[in-house]
Amino acid sequence: MKTSNVIVQDIPTIERRELRVVGSSVPRVDALEKVTGKALYGSDVNLPGMLYAKVVRSPHPHARVVSIDAGKAEQLAGVWCVITGKDVPDKRYGRVVFDQTILAKGIVRYAGEPVAAVCADSLDVAQEAAGLIKVEYEKLPSVFDVEQAVGSNPPVVVHPDLPKYEIVGAPGLASRLAELKQPNVFLHFKIRHGEIEKGFKDADLVIENRFETKRIQHVPLEPHGVVAQPEADGGLTLWVGRQSTWEFKGQIGMLFGIRPSKIRVIRPYVGGGFGGKVSIAGEAIAALLALRTGRPVKLVFTREEVFHSGGSREEMVVEIRDGIKRDGTLVAREIKALLNAGAYENLVARVTRACGFGSVGIYQVPNFKWDSYGVYSNEPPACALRGFGSTEVVWAIEQQMDIIAERLGIDPVALRKKNFLREGDVNAIGETVHSIGVEECLDKALGFVGQGGREDLGEDWVTALGFAVGNKYAIAPTSSMARVKITEDGVIEVYHSAEEIGQGCDTAMAQIAAEEFGVGVDGVRVISGDTLLCPFVAGGSTSSRITFQLGNAVKLACGKARTELFRRAAMRLHVAPDVLDTRDGDIYARAEPERKIRITQLFSGYRGDRPGAYGQYVEDGEIVGNATYVQECAPEDPETGQIDPVLARAGKRLVAFWAYTAKAVEVAVNTKTGQVKLLRIAAGEDMGRPINPKMCEQQSEGGMMMGLGAALYEEMLIDKGLVLNANLTDYRIPTSTCIPRLANIKSFPVYCPHKDGPYGAKGFSEGAMLATEPAICNAIYNAVGVRAKVLPVTPERLLAAIRNKTR
Amino acid sequence: MKRLVRLKVNGMNHELHTEPWRTLADALRELGFTGVHVGCDQGNCGSCTVIMDGKAVKSCLMLVPQAEGKEVITIEGLARNGVLHPLQQAFIDRFAVQCGFCTSGMILTAKALLDRNPDPTEEEVKAELEGNLCRCTGYVKIVEAVLAAKGNEQSDGQRVRE
Repeated sequence: MKTSNVIVQDIPTIERRELRVVGSSVPRVDALEKVTGKALYGSDVNLPGMLYAKVVRSPHPHARVVSIDAGKAEQLAGVWCVITGKDVPDKRYGRVVFDQTILAKGIVRYAGEPVAAVCADSLDVAQEAAGLIKVEYEKLPSVFDVEQAVGSNPPVVVHPDLPKYEIVGAPGLASRLAELKQPNVFLHFKIRHGEIEKGFKDADLVIENRFETKRIQHVPLEPHGVVAQPEADGGLTLWVGRQSTWEFKGQIGMLFGIRPSKIRVIRPYVGGGFGGKVSIAGEAIAALLALRTGRPVKLVFTREEVFHSGGSREEMVVEIRDGIKRDGTLVAREIKALLNAGAYENLVARVTRACGFGSVGIYQVPNFKWDSYGVYSNEPPACALRGFGSTEVVWAIEQQMDIIAERLGIDPVALRKKNFLREGDVNAIGETVHSIGVEECLDKALGFVGQGGREDLGEDWVTALGFAVGNKYAIAPTSSMARVKITEDGVIEVYHSAEEIGQGCDTAMAQIAAEEFGVGVDGVRVISGDTLLCPFVAGGSTSSRITFQLGNAVKLACGKARTELFRRAAMRLHVAPDVLDTRDGDIYARAEPERKIRITQLFSGYRGDRPGAYGQYVEDGEIVGNATYVQECAPEDPETGQIDPVLARAGKRLVAFWAYTAKAVEVAVNTKTGQVKLLRIAAGEDMGRPINPKMCEQQSEGGMMMGLGAALYEEMLIDKGLVLNANLTDYRIPTSTCIPRLANIKSFPVYCPHKDGPYGAKGFSEGAMLATEPAICNAIYNAVGVRAKVLPVTPERLLAAIRNKTR
Repeated sequence: MKRLVRLKVNGMNHELHTEPWRTLADALRELGFTGVHVGCDQGNCGSCTVIMDGKAVKSCLMLVPQAEGKEVITIEGLARNGVLHPLQQAFIDRFAVQCGFCTSGMILTAKALLDRNPDPTEEEVKAELEGNLCRCTGYVKIVEAVLAAKGNEQSDGQRVRE
């Protein structure tokens, strides 16, 4: 590990430090722009000569493209360019499995797959032209059901060439695909810990259940959009509100054979991501049209396009089998998860692995067997949605825990606490556990919801409490870079490439820099979202990683800038650099605070406090600190998913950190209509330490309500590969009238510092959603005795189950 | 085919020469009011909300000719002489903003409510905002911000209620 990115600290050191800005709820640095309408998003960018693109998409879930007749479209006045499969590079792209082409080449695999695109002077003309493009298809048989698709002899093989595809970021996967006997499975992830059969023999009770989550959508309020501009040197500039900017930059360069330094990605504000803006969705089409026409091209998805081509959360089938002792000790757990990825891998390989981690972060399981399968089908491609699969797995596990508690006659809270991992334990992937605050999360959440206040809504309503715990990890290996520069007027500039998707990363980074330089946040300027100016960050704003990874990089970069700052000040003050500190723009000797100099005075020749002298020659050059924080990942055994025990004892790990959550709820169930109301909800959130408590509350509340939607309202109705409810009337996300009374919503941050996190902070944006669905489902069971095996718990499903029960 | 439509936007007169099927949302954005956001173009999400003759309307459901002779207020028209409207200030102070895409619509819907009913209850605020979707905040701090803004004046003397 390089010395430049070692942060040596332990918990006592972290706790001794007095903080001025970190830990305070400073106002968000982006709030003013957003409340005045000045914040720009991708579709707000307008350039001279810009053209508008429209995509023609397959209506069939699986078909051969027989012919495309674009003659009439090309003749339409105002049309600049029509492209089809023959015009796009032969190259495939993707996230782990490179299985996608920019437009379909001869075969379409899902309803909505792009087959042609047109750009024109106006959107009206582009739309008209798109309608004139005639595509002839030969329909092919399709497979939709994941349990049919996963077999060794499925009715349809979605990607016959799978063993030949390039695989990136998954060592060993390519060779395993060549031998895989299940032709639609692109990843089989395994965890083996202990001896599973012995574990089941030792059990007093074995409980087995099957759970299923239906497909849901991220529904970011901003649809996907991009403006692509060709540059005179053969390069491209793209304005696009998305996550994972640098990966995207690399993919675009690869696809078009353009060297990476000629691709510039400018990221305006992003109107919500949630994992849905990580994959390529239309940007490559716009880029190709731009390169062919020599003009900037704007492509913005309609909301309908977002539904079928903007990614979604896969359907998951989870079978869980637990062996428990009579006293509640978990001795064996076996889980099999099938993930219906749809037509393209599109990041679901990562989800297939990540959801396994969702099953190992909380409980002591001495004998554990996990198998998850990422499976192709002819449904629209899924991707990752907040939680990367952990959310669905935790939903299943936490209901199973309540089932076990009831069978054994044990209090469900006591059952959890009996089996929680503790600091220093070994988890089911072999890591040594550090920084686990789940018990305090649970106590805080229960403490709030357990307090009285039961509403009486009338005789048809039954109320009950429920709770659940959850865990989310942040990915490793990964690396993040930051640059900190001190300007001649003493402003601390922070350059980074994480994406501000609403989570507040710009504010958090500003707070860290402010803390390190002893200034207020108004003394810091964050410059982010331009790959020409801002250094690399792997993954971008995904995996709840930015506070931890980039926060450390910013801290390190601040340290380097401070070193240079003090070196120069030391010369002027005639002291050694190590006696100096800085506060409010002054650099001073700690032992003699009157021996000081203003930062601005260090810029030789700058006399900004005397009028008329601005622009004098600056001799010493810029004061800059560049730093990289590298998060290593120990090697993982491909057959068992375990880390080597020697490495684990040395503190190495397979993840960056674990974040924890607990949700407690009170629901009311209407036994006549099947409706469920959320009356009270509380969350305990272990994110290490909140950098900005109010911003953490924002995340927590938003996550709760996203979980509410997933639990009760949201389902993509897909029939034979077609999304029937691809609009926001028929696909319901929670509205303002769905949430409890404000006084009945509470989020508690739990302080549980991580020795490697900046000031002990971890991250938790995904954890904010986790555990909400099982808490609600456990409460529903406690109210009416109906166990939700399928999510969402719609009124129809619940009512049918209630009636079945009373029959 | 194009028609001439005259309307006032944020107090300033505009003459638009436009196809009659153009939505008010698109026309306002073309005029540079990019604070009007298009989230669904089908009237479901409320991101495009503007105030027209005192009522909150979804501008993606209005055709430009329907705005003939009307006074439209977009988010850009709220601050006066650099002073934020109390709702804007409340959204900042109460952390009601995350990605910001729903923010314009939320603030304008809330303003139309407060102009009509200066002292709404929590339930009334929630009911009024039901047509504005948000995915980031869970609505909690948005409702808190609206309740905090009621009864406040802009510091140049303008009341919340016009």
